[in-house]
Amino acid sequence: MTNAYLSFNSSPDKLIVNVKGQWVFDEVLALEDATASVLPKAGQSVEFQCAGLEEIDLAGAWVLYDRTEQLSELGVKSEFTCFKAAHFKFLQHIIDAAAIREYKEPDGTPERPKVVRETVEQVGRATASHIEDLGQIARSILDGVRSPSLIMIGETIKQVYFTGVQAIPVVVVITFLIGIVTAHQAAGQLEKFGAMVLVVDLVSISITREMGVLLAAIMVAGRSGSAFAASLGVMKLNEEVDAMRVLGLNPNQMLVIPRILGLVIALPILTIFADIAGIAGGALIAVGSLGISGLQFVERVAFSTDLSDFYVGVSKAPVFALLIAMVGTLRGMQVKFSAEELGLKTTMAVVQSIFMIIVADALFAVLFTRLGI
Amino acid sequence: METIISIKNLVNRFGSQVVHDGLCLDIRRDEILGVVGGSGSGKSVLMRSILGLQKPASGTITVLGQQIEYHQPGPSRCWGVLFQGGALLSGLTVQENVELPIALHSNMPVETRHELASLKLLMTGLSLSVADKYPSELSGGMRKRVSLARALALEPKILFLDEPTAGLDPIAATAFDELITYLHDNLDLTIMMITHDVDSLFGICDRIAVLVDGGVVVGTVDEILESDHPWIKSYFGVPRAQRARHAIGGSRFE
Repeated sequence: MTNAYLSFNSSPDKLIVNVKGQWVFDEVLALEDATASVLPKAGQSVEFQCAGLEEIDLAGAWVLYDRTEQLSELGVKSEFTCFKAAHFKFLQHIIDAAAIREYKEPDGTPERPKVVRETVEQVGRATASHIEDLGQIARSILDGVRSPSLIMIGETIKQVYFTGVQAIPVVVVITFLIGIVTAHQAAGQLEKFGAMVLVVDLVSISITREMGVLLAAIMVAGRSGSAFAASLGVMKLNEEVDAMRVLGLNPNQMLVIPRILGLVIALPILTIFADIAGIAGGALIAVGSLGISGLQFVERVAFSTDLSDFYVGVSKAPVFALLIAMVGTLRGMQVKFSAEELGLKTTMAVVQSIFMIIVADALFAVLFTRLGI
Repeated sequence: METIISIKNLVNRFGSQVVHDGLCLDIRRDEILGVVGGSGSGKSVLMRSILGLQKPASGTITVLGQQIEYHQPGPSRCWGVLFQGGALLSGLTVQENVELPIALHSNMPVETRHELASLKLLMTGLSLSVADKYPSELSGGMRKRVSLARALALEPKILFLDEPTAGLDPIAATAFDELITYLHDNLDLTIMMITHDVDSLFGICDRIAVLVDGGVVVGTVDEILESDHPWIKSYFGVPRAQRARHAIGGSRFE
């Protein structure tokens, strides 16, 4: 049998193999096949004649080396003639050196834990990590406000700009559109009762009490919660946070508190913008296609919507802001090792802050109903 | 001697700052070329230009007969790069990092791939106990070794090293130098090495390229030492360079 890499000559006492052609990385697959055919043919000993070998690299040498090892395990001696490349010696050296420091597998694999045990462990670990999170938040806030400095004010104003002012356009546009959608949907249903004018009540109450603040908060969670986690995470990875500590600056004071404060200031203001835009959206539909006059609209809003409705909405904003900023900064500060973890923590920051906003909103709804506001 | 990399009239500019101004350099087969230069003299920019990661203002670069275009696939099968920080993919284990180029560029069975990757790890002096660790769990020196193993995964003809011994302690740095020499002696490798480590420069480089005034001064160690360019004089005149020079081969220079 003959192929591009090997050909066989038999002699009475041993198998003679001519090694030829290109023994390189690209050919490894073919080489594996070719050398496999040596195994069944080998008698007592094999002689590899390498005069026809054009090129060999480490991968090619490895294939040949591996086969001779297999042959010697089967008790077949192999020898080489005309073998020029230093690769073999090199391989031998590497493998000898490795054998000295060979890693010993720890004996006895631990027994497979039971499902129950695993679950309990998981619950325990999750609980512990949540308690730890709470502790970290409390610590960073207390640490941050312990001895307030003027630097915080500048940073806070910067954060108000980034998280609040820059978010105005997108928040205004979404709530405006949601105002339009709400008015449209309400009109379809209320028309059946001949109570078209109640569209105004519905839009203004739902926007001021719930939708305005909720939409602004969710938007900010997506925008700024992720930005907090990502920027703090990168700073952690670059050891900037450690550098701050060494310089005597308090990272909680420099990084965490301004972000929290900034957002607590920015979100209520954004909510006001959202309320105005949402009602404007409703007004556009009411006046434009439902035949309610502008004056009627304003009158109806004033009649149906109390100032307390507006306060209910806006009062939730600082709480949502606190949740977003705390989760975002906490997750950012928890980034430790890799870029992968940065992504994971950023995702966690957004998902958890939105989740917490909605849970908090539900609690508020119950609370305000009980209080009768 | 055969030229592996040929750089002709390379010009690199950042705004008004000219880094390379008509730089010409030939890298020969089977040599170890050390690249030195002051901060901002464009050592890394030169390497990035050769690798096609940096768009030069003008000039041509040919590697193994293939002209390099910015962000176009170069002869990636034929070169291996050791980036300064290692640039290991942090989401993959050590073994996966080394296996990745092999998996991308060949269709060999998983087992062979695995063996070859392990071989490369052993070759760079690592023990296989690190194979399942993540890069973040390794020390700086080990990370460099893994990165070197990855650079060698495809049996490259050219190896680029960006400050391979920076950030290593003298023992590890010496060991790394020995490793590079060892690989160079045993494999058919051309090596371009950016370094500030004078021990490496005197110890293992065949030629030295000094980047000065937007151009390059190339020569053997002795030729460079005799240069009367002021920057080169002061670079090799500082005590630590003098000490390294005497320590490495007094007889060679005296």
